[in-house]
Amino acid sequence: MIVKRRSVKRRSVERRNVDRVAGRRRWSPAAAVALITAAALAACGSSSGSAATAPAAGSDQKISVSFLSYNYGTPDIGGKGTQALIDAFEKAHPNITVKPQGVAVADVLTRLQTDTAAGSPPDVAQIGWSKMAAAYQLLPIVPVQDIPTRADWNAAMAGFSQHLLSAVEVDGKVKAVPYTISIPVIFYNADLFRKAGLDPTRPPTTVDEVKKDALAIKEKAGAQGVYFAVVDSGKSDYLTQSVIASNGGREVGPDGLPAFDQPAAVGALAAMQDLTTSGAQPAITATNAVAAFGAGKLGMLIGSTAVTASLQKASTGKFELRTAGFPSFGSRPAAPTYSGAGLAVLAKDKAHQQAAWEFIKFLTSAEGFTIITSKIGYLPLRPSLATDPKYLAPYFAANKLLSPALAQLDDVSPYQSYTGKRASQAVVALQDDAVEPIVLRGANPASTLSSVAGQVRGVLGQK
Amino acid sequence: MANPSLIAGERGVDHAPPVVRLRDRARPWLYLAPLIVALVVWVYGPLVFTGVLSFMSWNLTAPHPSWLGTANYSRLVHEPQFPHAARNTLVYAVVMLPFATVVPMALAIALWKRPGRVSTVYRTLLFLPVVLAPIATAITWQFLLDPLSGLVNVVAGWFGVGAHNWLGDPSSALYSVLLITSVKVVALNVLLFGAALANLERGLLEAAALDGATEWEITRHIVLPHLRRTVVLLGMLSLVVVWPWIFANVAVLTQGGPAGSTDNVYYRLFTYAFTFFDAGTASAAAVVITGALALVLGLGLLVAGRRRRAIA
Repeated sequence: MIVKRRSVKRRSVERRNVDRVAGRRRWSPAAAVALITAAALAACGSSSGSAATAPAAGSDQKISVSFLSYNYGTPDIGGKGTQALIDAFEKAHPNITVKPQGVAVADVLTRLQTDTAAGSPPDVAQIGWSKMAAAYQLLPIVPVQDIPTRADWNAAMAGFSQHLLSAVEVDGKVKAVPYTISIPVIFYNADLFRKAGLDPTRPPTTVDEVKKDALAIKEKAGAQGVYFAVVDSGKSDYLTQSVIASNGGREVGPDGLPAFDQPAAVGALAAMQDLTTSGAQPAITATNAVAAFGAGKLGMLIGSTAVTASLQKASTGKFELRTAGFPSFGSRPAAPTYSGAGLAVLAKDKAHQQAAWEFIKFLTSAEGFTIITSKIGYLPLRPSLATDPKYLAPYFAANKLLSPALAQLDDVSPYQSYTGKRASQAVVALQDDAVEPIVLRGANPASTLSSVAGQVRGVLGQK
Repeated sequence: MANPSLIAGERGVDHAPPVVRLRDRARPWLYLAPLIVALVVWVYGPLVFTGVLSFMSWNLTAPHPSWLGTANYSRLVHEPQFPHAARNTLVYAVVMLPFATVVPMALAIALWKRPGRVSTVYRTLLFLPVVLAPIATAITWQFLLDPLSGLVNVVAGWFGVGAHNWLGDPSSALYSVLLITSVKVVALNVLLFGAALANLERGLLEAAALDGATEWEITRHIVLPHLRRTVVLLGMLSLVVVWPWIFANVAVLTQGGPAGSTDNVYYRLFTYAFTFFDAGTASAAAVVITGALALVLGLGLLVAGRRRRAIA
């Protein structure tokens, strides 16, 4: 009798266990495919596991935070700087362990998609701004501003560029905190300027001056003049948005639909085309242009400050590298769009979300940006640090390359995203079918932009 | 009179207990089971899921795909990108064919006819590109083909040829990618033709030479017929195995551009799935590609089978 009762009890426990497992693993076929894809393509990267029973940060118990970063694990300064940030954070927060995961910059969204589908997204992810709108739509991102108390948030963000925080707000709140931010600037070879009879202390400030100086370099210094990297190798449109905004237009309208067929946008891209047709700019890819600039064969490169460190390394012992602010169109103020990445939280439970916030708070603190700027070369998004002797004043005294970009931090225009789930396709269509043919191959700006705008509207309207 | 032991044995088989008969029938299937399970899990299962997904809209993370019917297929047909990529794929396949057959065959025959240390060194050097990592190879080519300072333009300049943007000009990008990929294809197929030639009895050639056959006649009537099946096999394989190499070169060097000139159905499929996160359209593209490939290979096998029967 006792044996029978035990047997019934065991069966009941087993059934509950089976039900629990079944409840947890009620996978659709699509989820199964995602899991297979995740296994095949994501190289089995897993998060620290956001178990619901994780201890709260701040207690004596240890907690781990997984961090997906495209800077982590690279052999260059980006990898070393990220490791320095993690080490400093772990020293300051001995109860929180960071488990970093590297990923190729082009694969961030893919990796996050597959990890999420497999049920193990990282707790914190470094996501590029051009992919952020898609990430908000596709991934279970917890708005960072919702995690801390209002007082904690305000204290942590005091001194942070308020203009930038407002620019990245979505529906009135900061969903991802700006982290490694770049602004396009003019990199120029001071030696080629001198060779062309130009004054390197007076770099061009407008697009017309850029063209004039580039032609002078081509004629007198025997090098290529300028490369305005609107035809981005990664098919990002942040420079396209920068030139259109600087010419008083918009790439994306307030309704999330294309506005790049309007006169201001057409004029901006016509000016880019004029650089090529006049001979001031070679018709090459951005990758080739960066290589040419590093080799001292290109006078000016207009691109993101993200390449500052690599250009500095390439120019050492070869030529004098300088930077200037993003050029304007005539008397209109320049309005460059930021690029780079923000930090988003995907942690599932409160304990990991709180630990993720502590990590983000540190990365974007004065100490964090001191490491980010001095070791990786990204802008300090707390501008006062540049003059603070405790933090970055010595760095900026010795290194002037980031100063023009820092001066333009309050002029940046927000990155605009297309509406709907086909936003990425819209960006690729604009870059591939309009910007590249117009700028590098002489396509008619007005008719090409009009035709591609129609095409993009059709794409965005699809189910 | 029949052999009694044999009859007894036959009766023994016929009247074995059902459990034994079942066990005997099941045994080969049990041996095959691991392979069958692996095929179902990793090949046919995903194939069926892909077929189902091709009728749905899904961004890879939404909990439930939504039913779309044939809209994904309609999109493939009506948007210009996929038909354009399909036409490019045809060009890739046709241009790659001689690099998969004629060129490596000629090199393999030349090396086989002159055995020795020099031939071995040549064979090793020819095979080297196969073992190099595809991405590393592509990046090396990126440097070589740099329009401003690449070695290819420097060398072309010595012969009075002006600098050309090989990968940035739509008229030359596709053929540049094809040539870069063909180096690997030729390298691999020289080895495979060499393996096929190893089975050819050299005595046959010596006998033909004694009978007064010229070098060309020996090649034409003895060596080439021996390699016929290898040519068909490698021709068909080139339709299947070269795409990962082409994909790596396109992904690193051109990303399908300029103006879609280097795009192909495989890179487009990847773009749908992992740039646009449109698993439905990507699955529809995968179904179309699989169907087209099955059709081409099926026809190839049919023609080869008929020819073999005709020869027999």
